[in-house]
Amino acid sequence: MPGALSSSNARMLISGLAVVVFLAVWEVAPRMGLVDVMYSSQPSRVMAAGLDVLRSSAFLHDVAVSFSEFAIGFPLAIAIGVPLGLLLGMFPVLRYVLDPPIMAIYATPHLALLPILVVWLGIGMESKIAVVFAGGVIPILVNCMAGVRGVERSWVLAARSFSAGKWDVFSKVILPASLPGVILGIRLGVSRAVLGVVVAEMYQSQAGVGNEITRYGSEFRTDYLLFYVLLVSVFGFAATWAVRALEEKLWTAGK
Amino acid sequence: MTVNSKASPVLLGVASFAVILLLWEAVVRLGWANPFFISEPSAIALSLIQAARSGELRHNLAVSLGEFAVGYGASVVVGVLAGALAGRFRIVEYILDPFLWFLYSAPLIAFYPIFVIWFGLGVPTVIAITFLLSVTQIAASTLSGIQNVNPGLIRAARSFGATERDLLWKVVLPASVPTMIAGLRLGIGRALMGVVVAELFGATAGLGFSIAYYGGLLKTTNMLASLIVIVVLGVVCTQALSAVEAQFDSWRTGPGS
Amino acid sequence: METCIVLDPAMEQQRGSGTSSHIRIEDVTVAYEKPKAAGTFVALSSANLDIARGTFVTIVGPSGCGKSSLLLAVAGLVKPSSGRVLVNGQPVSGPGRDRAVVFQDFALMPWRTVLDNVRFGLELQRFSGEDLTARARRYVELVGLQGFENYHPHQLSGGMRQRVGIARALAVDPEILLLDEPFGALDAQTRDQMGTELLAIWERNKKTALFVTHSVDEAIFLADWIVVMAKNPGRIVEIMPVDLRRPRTMETMDSEIYVEYRKRIRAHLTGEARDSREIIAPHG
Repeated sequence: MPGALSSSNARMLISGLAVVVFLAVWEVAPRMGLVDVMYSSQPSRVMAAGLDVLRSSAFLHDVAVSFSEFAIGFPLAIAIGVPLGLLLGMFPVLRYVLDPPIMAIYATPHLALLPILVVWLGIGMESKIAVVFAGGVIPILVNCMAGVRGVERSWVLAARSFSAGKWDVFSKVILPASLPGVILGIRLGVSRAVLGVVVAEMYQSQAGVGNEITRYGSEFRTDYLLFYVLLVSVFGFAATWAVRALEEKLWTAGK
Repeated sequence: MTVNSKASPVLLGVASFAVILLLWEAVVRLGWANPFFISEPSAIALSLIQAARSGELRHNLAVSLGEFAVGYGASVVVGVLAGALAGRFRIVEYILDPFLWFLYSAPLIAFYPIFVIWFGLGVPTVIAITFLLSVTQIAASTLSGIQNVNPGLIRAARSFGATERDLLWKVVLPASVPTMIAGLRLGIGRALMGVVVAELFGATAGLGFSIAYYGGLLKTTNMLASLIVIVVLGVVCTQALSAVEAQFDSWRTGPGS
Repeated sequence: METCIVLDPAMEQQRGSGTSSHIRIEDVTVAYEKPKAAGTFVALSSANLDIARGTFVTIVGPSGCGKSSLLLAVAGLVKPSSGRVLVNGQPVSGPGRDRAVVFQDFALMPWRTVLDNVRFGLELQRFSGEDLTARARRYVELVGLQGFENYHPHQLSGGMRQRVGIARALAVDPEILLLDEPFGALDAQTRDQMGTELLAIWERNKKTALFVTHSVDEAIFLADWIVVMAKNPGRIVEIMPVDLRRPRTMETMDSEIYVEYRKRIRAHLTGEARDSREIIAPHG
């Protein structure tokens, strides 16, 4: 490629420029009558809508509902997915038996379970928590399993040669060595979980961020709608980024 | 470790499911669980047969598969093209990067109401969501495949006087096939989810629609029937593409190939 | 420090080649930009070398002495920051049909069969005048891989893969064969075997060959001339003729002259020789 631009600077410059151009076009096109503002909204309107939402008291309530659904469902997914995954990883017999259904579930869109969960648990918070759980537990489980299976046999043998008992082998070799797999599973599960909250609320609920999204959607209020969508995107990104930061810390610390 | 022959995973899978179905049936028949909630395999099978006979199954399957085909097909074309262009021209990569990355990490289904505003309820919206969900995956994988070609191969080709065109067609593209196919496989999962979920919300036909419809009627048996069809579809598609992926595994250009 | 060698005319007449050099390396310096603009790294500094047609020259030195950079500069894959490389009197500006490279990591296309891999260079150079597949087949046989034409690289051992690499390079009939530590990724026994076979193939048509290695034994065993290099900065420190009769065998390695050569080169590598004519015993 011609030009001796320093790679990362050029990257930031061009990427930033692209976003700016995009925002500019988005803002200007409705003004010029190229597109109906009801369909596309504008950055300025979205910002205005955002400010309005942030100032309202209902917003905090919605966020609280959504966040608590996530905050209950996801740790639950971790609490069950990690031990189960580790167990399955360690005992081949269990794995051979349960692998096919687990892989079948992994290949299925977890959100397809939404209506069934609503039938079982109603339209309150319980079904949302269940969806979050369903979204998170499978990636966590599968990757924990993979994490255990990735533990080198030679390490286990080395530990045993120093007369390590079963518990020691587990806590000092298997657990630390499977950690990358566990964290990877958590990272993959987070985005599914966030998706779960929002979509579940969009489907059937009485409160929460997703509920608002549906409401504004049906009212054709694109500016408010887009603000909420962006909000959710930012949260999903932040959560994934947090886990990734944790992942990197582990990589540099351990091994 | 047990020896893995080609037959045994399939056999094991079948056996495992058979056991699960038997347990399921038993648990309900013995009155340990309420069939309202989880139904029973025999009832589900019956409803599936009925749906097949009445043409309902065929209709829903056709609609969903049609939406899947169009949405996924379009995402493959656009995704591979975008990924290839981004791989070839750094500027394209830098421009597309923030958007791809946003689309990849945002919960795209939240955009559903926007699509409804644009395209209305029904098939076009479903296709749009399906397309969006899988195109980012495919573009990202294609880009990655192209960028991660073993530079040793490129140097070797250059040493024999390869032109830029030679490099593209004879080295870069074949070398990026394994990663591209992996991306196509992942894209299938996402596309399928797009179809099902979009149908859940607003459609008049299709497998996802059928789940929501029967959900409204609290008919768990029919819901589970449709769900099982979706599961089977997902497994079949993923396995098929995994098999294709395995064929091209020897094309991987790791170090020292 | 200039080390310029003009080949002994008497020796050249023995080989029946002309007195003009085939490859001339004139004051070549190769420098790389360090990442994040941390300055430049000089891989090779002021190399001077004259190589006659049909000579087998080995280049030996520790890691980081610039030997690969020297080879790649001749190949035209790396541009010297100063100085130039001349082949047949013409400056080198990039890869060309007169030179072919064999790489340490084999660099075979994993999706191509052995036969197609050998064809690879021919296709790229738009070779004409013969059916490419038939020609490729001949070279597959030359390196002893007949029967394996339809195998893929991942089905072959390291030694076999490198034979494909050698066949690929020979198939385009270059005047100059450039080998960048070609046996570096192979185990010791395969290395020895490949070395002997390479010489057997080379004896048939005596191309000018430049062979980079970090193995002293390999350097002596294969060569007509040995270029010894040192690092910090990467440079040529000695150019030695090898006075051993061909064909070389295992017995050659036991001869006194051989042992002397080895001592001298080792001395350079362990940094003890001050005068390149002096024979100094290396530390035991």
